[in-house]
Amino acid sequence: MPAGALRYAPAILVGRLTRFAARLRKPGGGSAVPGLVVNRIAPNYLKRTLSGFPQGLVVVSGSSGKSTTTKMLVAILRAHHVDVFTNPSTANISQGLTSALLERADWRGRVPGEMAVLEMDEGHGALVMQGVDARAVALMNVMVDQIDRFHDSEMVAGMLERIAARALETVVVNADDAYLERLALKVGPDVAVRRFGVSEAVLAAAPRGLGHAQTAAGRLQAGDGVRLERVDGRSAVIEDHGTVVAVGLPARGIHYGVDATAAYTTAKAVLGDRFDRQTAADALGAIPAVFGRGERVLVRGQEVDFVLVQNPASYQLNVDSIEPGTTDVLFAIGSDVRDPSYFWPTDASSLGRVAIVSGSKAAEAALMLAYDGVEIDRVEPDLGRALDDFLAAPAPASGTKTIVFSADSMRRTRAHLGLTGAE
Amino acid sequence: MTFTIITLVPSLQNTNGDAENAAVLARRAAWAGIDARVVAVEARADLPDRVDAVVLGSGSDASLERSRDLLLELHDELRRWGTEGVPILAVGTGWELLSWGIEHPDGSSIEGLGILPGRAVPRPGGRVTDDLVVTELGTGRTLVGFENHARDYVGAEASPLGRVRAGHGNGRGSGQEGVVMGEVIGTHLHGPVLAKNPELADRILATMAERAGVAYEAGERARVVDGYADVARRAQLTAAGVQDAVA
Repeated sequence: MPAGALRYAPAILVGRLTRFAARLRKPGGGSAVPGLVVNRIAPNYLKRTLSGFPQGLVVVSGSSGKSTTTKMLVAILRAHHVDVFTNPSTANISQGLTSALLERADWRGRVPGEMAVLEMDEGHGALVMQGVDARAVALMNVMVDQIDRFHDSEMVAGMLERIAARALETVVVNADDAYLERLALKVGPDVAVRRFGVSEAVLAAAPRGLGHAQTAAGRLQAGDGVRLERVDGRSAVIEDHGTVVAVGLPARGIHYGVDATAAYTTAKAVLGDRFDRQTAADALGAIPAVFGRGERVLVRGQEVDFVLVQNPASYQLNVDSIEPGTTDVLFAIGSDVRDPSYFWPTDASSLGRVAIVSGSKAAEAALMLAYDGVEIDRVEPDLGRALDDFLAAPAPASGTKTIVFSADSMRRTRAHLGLTGAE
Repeated sequence: MTFTIITLVPSLQNTNGDAENAAVLARRAAWAGIDARVVAVEARADLPDRVDAVVLGSGSDASLERSRDLLLELHDELRRWGTEGVPILAVGTGWELLSWGIEHPDGSSIEGLGILPGRAVPRPGGRVTDDLVVTELGTGRTLVGFENHARDYVGAEASPLGRVRAGHGNGRGSGQEGVVMGEVIGTHLHGPVLAKNPELADRILATMAERAGVAYEAGERARVVDGYADVARRAQLTAAGVQDAVA
């Protein structure tokens, strides 16, 4: 046993006890508190553990799509028989990350796994990654998001640049994002840049664009990277340096195709010669729908579509993908959206009518929808009551009952309906 | 008669959704039975023949010079509109670009268009992002919104938009927010300020109507929607700790 191997045992024990106590208080729920406690009493634990995986650390960050991409990347790596440690998407900031490590740690704090693949919040990632080296960093995009946290796109790009600076081998960038293309030019000489992007046809099929704060002027040319050739429902075609690969997606939508292309490109960069195209394609096709991101769930005896909106780009894409003629929509925005101003450039007029607007920011949401020309039957800030009434209402005249929510409202919805373990 | 509301350089100047105030004016006009359209003006060639109101939103610092250069193409029109009483709402960096200029901490500066008095100067404490509550000068009405800016504003002391009840506003101990000159308003209140403050929207619409020789009275639908605004305003006033302000 090397010296210092027991260094973290006391902290781990305290973390475990904290977790036990948290579980007693909130059965079934995850908690960031144990992580908070361990980060306080053993500040280097997170850093050391993240740096200690034999096949290194891979980080996925960006404004949008990092959760799905991380899950896809993990699936591809596991299909290649790599033992991967990963974090649940709700644990992508420091305390949550430490809590997630504690979940898997033995009594000395060691976490099993050959490789770690982590989704990293763009705001916290730069801090978490201080003193931590990654093999590869994959960056999805720079989008307008939570103005009170991120102020403007330059700030987000700056944060991603600091995360990218921790990459020892490879930085993977979305070539359609002008901010990331500029960032790629600054990567050190020893670090490889791998690119993914969409074809002209895919971009043309997204009339509102792909949501980048600034879209790159040109598309990725064949041979310069891995390109998403086309998306047709839940099928997509990826072009990999002359080879065409057909993949299945976990849900409809171009952004899932982009996520799959990002995961494919990153897996290929990390695995090198071990990478197999068909294994990757099979792994992507086998991924179940991600909770709250276009998932159809059976709740109280009826099918309900859940649609998560995280930022203006995903809001627009997801609202656009709600089947036209869907009459029963519950729309909930919670406290995670401090000030919804940055959502105003979106257009939800295609919804036509919303049955209930709810969440702690219900009035703000109703105001925005009303100016989009959407009819609103009822504003009910109490999300529990809104959910109960919405689900108790008769089956819709057309379409599926659809709940559109922000992340905070999603968590509350999940808790209220007793849906757990889906993430 | 169709109201034409233009939004200037929305590709760069819509960070906080401020450019959407043009759509708010158009929607409220439609609710009042007046046809209205929004025209995005990215270059001089996009200018429509008729302009009833102008909205200029906020952008990022990286695009300040590009936006300024585009706005310079419209310098003559902006001066003329300002003089003739065409309502202009300029928010955040959009307002700063219409001022005398913007000073950076490194001593460099960007010359503004000089449509509004005053200039933007570095804010000693760094960026502020918070609720902003203002008592409007003259009307005594409460304006509610959110601010997100890295600079203070000096030189507006003679004609501010109002007095700060909560938040920072123009800063430098002025206790003031915004600047007003005729029908030209510069403000830090970002996002859908006209949706959040429908009385301000209706005042702008009344000015537009008067200039066009038509009558404006807020529509039935506006009353319902203003109810949402009222609840949102009250929540924000509570959050900002100024419950006693008239919502």
